[in-house]
Amino acid sequence: MPNEVAQILGNAVHLSSIGFAVVTADGVVNYANPAFCEIFLISFFETHVGCLLVEYPLIRFNSSISKLKLALNCPAPAFIQLHVDPDLMPLTLDIAALNDGARVMVAKRGQGSQIEFEPPNGPYYRDHLTGLGNRRFLDEILANWQPNSPNALSLAVIMIDIDRFKKVIDALGHCAGDTLLKLAARRIQSAIREQDTLVRVGGDVFVMLHTIGLQSIGTESVARRIVELMGRSFLIDGQQVNISASIGIAALNHGTDTITDLLRHAEFALYKAKESGQGNVRFFEPSLALQALVRYRFEIDLRRALVLKEFIIMYQPQVNLTDGSLQGFEALIRWQNPARGLLSPLDFIPLTEETGDIHAIGEWILHTACKEAMSWDGNFSVGVNVSPIQFESERIVDIVSNVLANTGLPPDRLELEITESVLIKDFDNALKQLWALKSLGVGIAMDDFGTGYSSLSYLNRFPFSKIKIDQSFVRGESSPKTRVLVQSIISLGATLDIITIAEGVETQEQYDQLAADGCKGAQGYLISAPIPTKAIGKFISDFRNKTT
Amino acid sequence: MNDQLYRLVYISRNEITGDDETVHCEIEKILSVSRKNNAIANISGALLFNAGCFAQVLEGLHDDLQNSFERIQCDSRHSNVIVLAFEKMAERRFPSWSMAYFGADSDASAKFGDIMQQSELDASLLKGNQIFDVLNEHLLDAEPSSV
Repeated sequence: MPNEVAQILGNAVHLSSIGFAVVTADGVVNYANPAFCEIFLISFFETHVGCLLVEYPLIRFNSSISKLKLALNCPAPAFIQLHVDPDLMPLTLDIAALNDGARVMVAKRGQGSQIEFEPPNGPYYRDHLTGLGNRRFLDEILANWQPNSPNALSLAVIMIDIDRFKKVIDALGHCAGDTLLKLAARRIQSAIREQDTLVRVGGDVFVMLHTIGLQSIGTESVARRIVELMGRSFLIDGQQVNISASIGIAALNHGTDTITDLLRHAEFALYKAKESGQGNVRFFEPSLALQALVRYRFEIDLRRALVLKEFIIMYQPQVNLTDGSLQGFEALIRWQNPARGLLSPLDFIPLTEETGDIHAIGEWILHTACKEAMSWDGNFSVGVNVSPIQFESERIVDIVSNVLANTGLPPDRLELEITESVLIKDFDNALKQLWALKSLGVGIAMDDFGTGYSSLSYLNRFPFSKIKIDQSFVRGESSPKTRVLVQSIISLGATLDIITIAEGVETQEQYDQLAADGCKGAQGYLISAPIPTKAIGKFISDFRNKTT
Repeated sequence: MNDQLYRLVYISRNEITGDDETVHCEIEKILSVSRKNNAIANISGALLFNAGCFAQVLEGLHDDLQNSFERIQCDSRHSNVIVLAFEKMAERRFPSWSMAYFGADSDASAKFGDIMQQSELDASLLKGNQIFDVLNEHLLDAEPSSV
């Protein structure tokens, strides 16, 4: 080779941005250009010649050290990819043997837009069940992602959640659940492009990173394809399993400004998708973040409310329709928040059921209502609503018996009001607890009867002390059809020897009609709106004066 | 469950578009790939096809069917896959071949097409066995002439 050519070649190699090295089959470095040194984090100015390549920390860190040794020893040209932390672009190495036994190595970062994100081997970055990357891997990619080619100008996070996953586990067991996750992972993978990344972030949630280029390949159509694939039957353990998937999407420059917000925003969108039913795809919108923030503040305030003593109980009087006498009161919780005003249970109880705060709040209501009932002048009953969630903890029987012992309220003055959803969730367990409560001597009323399933079998399986006819029926009493329904509930009560009481009685006409039909009790605005505890003394004496 | 035979029956909507030749060519491709894959996985069965839908019976071991079905489910040449039956069976009903193809002009497709038309792809109107009987009847008739 003429000197001139050798010099041109030498200069070119020296200045090239492609890493170039000549090493022995054992990996001893004979020559490395600056780019190669930079890639391997070898200081170019230190005496790298004569060093062992596999001893460099960057290589040692990686588990593929044996792969590199193998490739160097291979007499045929070899190609390997190393995935080196913290830079997640894979390192591509082409290795070829020269005639004299030396090896030429060409090293590049990445591989164009292909296979940009392949989780490194080893448990640290992998989800053991599906073989996909895990949450840690996802965080690394997001932390290092940059728009780096016309094919990857922007990034979308597609968050996929399997609907009804828990039902599959309940019905078929955890093994079947694992199989489902594996099959689901494979299906989702079949719908994505090579340059996209799929990870399982935990439970039944998958996240797909979808690069968006100049020619945008519709993120939404990918999502819809995934929903469609997941909606198709699976065959697991000899059973046909049907599920669906919900998807939330957030994309850079499409309502999300920073990479750090992508996951959170996709999660908001996913919540929204699930809220509107199963198998939906939702894009993140800034208003969702606002909604989430509002809800978050509400939740925080609600959590503090008990300690700050912002809850109060109002009592709505109940009268006997046969003789017009005062029977008792239903305890109704209100939340008096300085900033929000007076809130009714419908505004906040569902949230406490979600967060679990209902346990503490429910216990407080029971205790307060029983204590306050002790101060009333007369043996009036007190009705307290109990949430189905309170029955899940199995502590309800202990709580009630403690409250009775602590307040001294005679058990027959307390009436727990439950809805049929208590029985729907776990019938046998609920029935067991209801019987235990009944044996304490307290009454159990079936609330909101007429709405929902209103299954007669529930009435037959447990001796309820009262059926409360839902106010929607009482208000609609003027229509002949509704009237027949109310009459049949009343006669049902009479047959089963259960007292019926109508809620939401607002007019004298409704009152007279119910009395004529044989209904035993009534409550509603006609008699009185719910009143605070300190007004009860006056109400009772006024009522007595009125009727005597 | 290792040597337990299962039978899978499904129908799906044909999503192959194009002229007759393209459609025919795609179907031939499906058949040749299925024949090969199913022979390896020891899956037997029958495929019925007309302009609107596919119907397929597959027989084999549980995991082989599961694998094969996952491939089928991800195939974009059809949609609305509805499983009509997935159940244990004592012996194969189609032991001697891996797949059979009935074009739009065969009796079976005509008969099947009628059922599909009546039911408008509503699986609840179809019982797995009804489909199976239709398949069985016609495929057994055709057995001597098939591969």
